[in-house]
Amino acid sequence: MDTVNNVKSPRRRISTTLAGVTGLLFLAGCATNAPQDTWQAKGPNAQKISDLQWIVFPIAGVVGVLVLALAGYIMFKYRDTGQPIPTQGHGKPTAEIILTIVPALILTVVGVFTFRAIFDLAKTEDTEMIINVTGQQWWWEYDYPVQTELGINTPIISSGQLVMPVGTKVLLRETSRDVIHSYWIPALNGKKDAVPGRIHLLRLEADKPGIFAGQCTEFCGLSHANMRMEAVALSKEDFAKWVAGQQKAYTSPADGTLAKEGETVFLNQCVRCHQVNGLKKADGTPALAAPDENVYSGAAPNLSHLMSRNTFAGAMFDLLRKNCRSDVWDATSEEFGAKYLAGVSESCLNQTDLRAWLRNAPAMKPMYADPTKLTKTGGKYRGMPNLGLTEDDIDKLVAYLLTLK
Amino acid sequence: MFTPSSKYFVGLTGIALVSAILYMFLINPSDLGAIALFGVAASSALVAGFTLFTRDNDAFTDEEAVAAAAHAPGASIWPIVFALGAALVLTGMATVPVVFILGIGVLFGAGLEWTIQNWSQRASADTAFNSFARERAIGALEYPGLAAVGLAIIAYLFSRVFLALSKDAGTIFFIVVASVIFAIGFLIALKPAMRGKATVLVAVAGAVVLLVIGGIAALSGERHELAVASEEDHYSAEHRECEVEKSEHYDHHANNQVSLRSAVTATIFVEDGKLRAQAIGIKKDIDTITIPRSLGTTVMFRNLDETEHRLVVNLGSHTVAETGVKEKVGTCTQLTGKKQEQVLTLLIPKPATAEEPYFFEVPGIEGQIKLVVP
Repeated sequence: MDTVNNVKSPRRRISTTLAGVTGLLFLAGCATNAPQDTWQAKGPNAQKISDLQWIVFPIAGVVGVLVLALAGYIMFKYRDTGQPIPTQGHGKPTAEIILTIVPALILTVVGVFTFRAIFDLAKTEDTEMIINVTGQQWWWEYDYPVQTELGINTPIISSGQLVMPVGTKVLLRETSRDVIHSYWIPALNGKKDAVPGRIHLLRLEADKPGIFAGQCTEFCGLSHANMRMEAVALSKEDFAKWVAGQQKAYTSPADGTLAKEGETVFLNQCVRCHQVNGLKKADGTPALAAPDENVYSGAAPNLSHLMSRNTFAGAMFDLLRKNCRSDVWDATSEEFGAKYLAGVSESCLNQTDLRAWLRNAPAMKPMYADPTKLTKTGGKYRGMPNLGLTEDDIDKLVAYLLTLK
Repeated sequence: MFTPSSKYFVGLTGIALVSAILYMFLINPSDLGAIALFGVAASSALVAGFTLFTRDNDAFTDEEAVAAAAHAPGASIWPIVFALGAALVLTGMATVPVVFILGIGVLFGAGLEWTIQNWSQRASADTAFNSFARERAIGALEYPGLAAVGLAIIAYLFSRVFLALSKDAGTIFFIVVASVIFAIGFLIALKPAMRGKATVLVAVAGAVVLLVIGGIAALSGERHELAVASEEDHYSAEHRECEVEKSEHYDHHANNQVSLRSAVTATIFVEDGKLRAQAIGIKKDIDTITIPRSLGTTVMFRNLDETEHRLVVNLGSHTVAETGVKEKVGTCTQLTGKKQEQVLTLLIPKPATAEEPYFFEVPGIEGQIKLVVP
């Protein structure tokens, strides 16, 4: 008897729990709103991987189930019941030949499809656009070299969100400034490691406008799990607008405004690491950031046109409030471009997270930013330190950052 | 109680433990070095335990260990060699590291030989058996060790000869030597009767000739251009004369490694007297190369022209704090010959200013390639 007074035995409890967890995991595969689902391809490269999965997974599944079932059957049938040990033979040539040839044939079939997909995904000769992607602890930098046919006449630099035109074969040239990272937007293609000193190529292409999530898939330190990225696909017309916006000259806030005071705070505190293209010091000379002197990787996100992005801090936090974010993420393909290009307005700004970040960044995202523990990096931070800003400074900075569109 | 092997490992355990403790107190208590030394101590203690437990797995049979009247130990050369090693160590500490390292090697080798000899001469009263025991204990180390030392001496002597001769003479010398060795080997293979004394005679004669030639070459020093280049540090990859090359001797192939060539972001060509550039993923020629800031990035220079050229990158200027003088900042490849290539690895922390843009150029060739650091 398994139960006494309605109390289940431990074995029964464990079996029930295992069955429940297995069932839940199985049902999780049915989720349709999983942004990093490899079965929901949104571009031809990811589609090739998805198509390959439909061949490999059923074959592997059938083989796996057969092997497990056979092993279970044999374990049960020939369990030790005190019977004498059977006569020991020295193999059966027929069975051995079959068990060699059948797996070889299965692997050959799988191999043909796999190699075809690998070679298809490695093609780069018909590239239509390139973006340099540089990983560092724990954010991604995107710089768009001059490509006049796409309207990019001066380099564009961004972070957190990669913006690309729909239906365009975009080639990412990946590398890293510190340790190995791995770039992965499941809806658009597979993973590709970003290795210091090397340039690895990854092709992305999106079928429709939209926003696609991803994350670093090579353990890269304390905040590896928070090193996220988003790829934004815009129609070619909208992409041209985005390019024009990114190349717009810097405009200093009007004198006497809170934002103007924020610019001064930025010049005093933030420009040590963060560049805003076109920003000038009080003496009229360009304010050039020096992240190489303060940050271990030698770089910090360029904040030019910050409010044209939807995320900050390595895409860990949204710049948009929840309802505004849903408005963009859930937009139809037709509406998406306009909603994304609207950027971050004052009413939509996620002030809670942004202020908390400015108040004490290391408390928001685990980073090696404790000034007492920087001997191994020569006094350089691996993330944004606590700058000790006053609430007054934070008000001014938020007002200033809102002008960076 | 202790077997020969266990003594060695017990000693190693003691040395590693003492070193670990000294390291922890004198250098760094939480460093990997201390962990490594404790690891050595632990592993050698484990091996010592094993060797004690198994009695070296080398017990002599009763027949082998025949008891006999004791013999006095014979004369040994190892104390003298050991003393020579100690002298070399002390001399090396005061002069050059290579002598110190050589001394350590001699000290270790002589110490080992001395210990084994001492042990084997007392293994039994039978000198033949003692000799057999010594051979078993150290023979497997002596032959490869001597072969390695011999090969190192041969390689060193050959290297002195090649460094003293000119490039062409060196090639001829190598061909002649290789041909002679091949011919002698061929003869010995054909005429088995030549083996034995004749082979030994040829080997000894060859060694003497090599010693004499190598010695003369070592004494005469490196050939002229190597000596000059070495004095002026012209064979360093850092050697850069971005204007007119003043040096007569330098490495034309500096920074031409395969590892760098496999990760170039762009290639700059000189072809038919014109400058052009290509980047990975862009089909047409480009006039601007974008390099992320603070990221080591490699650019290749490929000279397809008939004459030597070098690629120069101009990175603005800076003011020397002490003198207030403005100096140009930049770097370049060394002169690159026809259909040859070199790479430049750039690490640029800041973008250019409007007044002083960054650019690549090849002196004597029209045009520039803009360099942008966003």
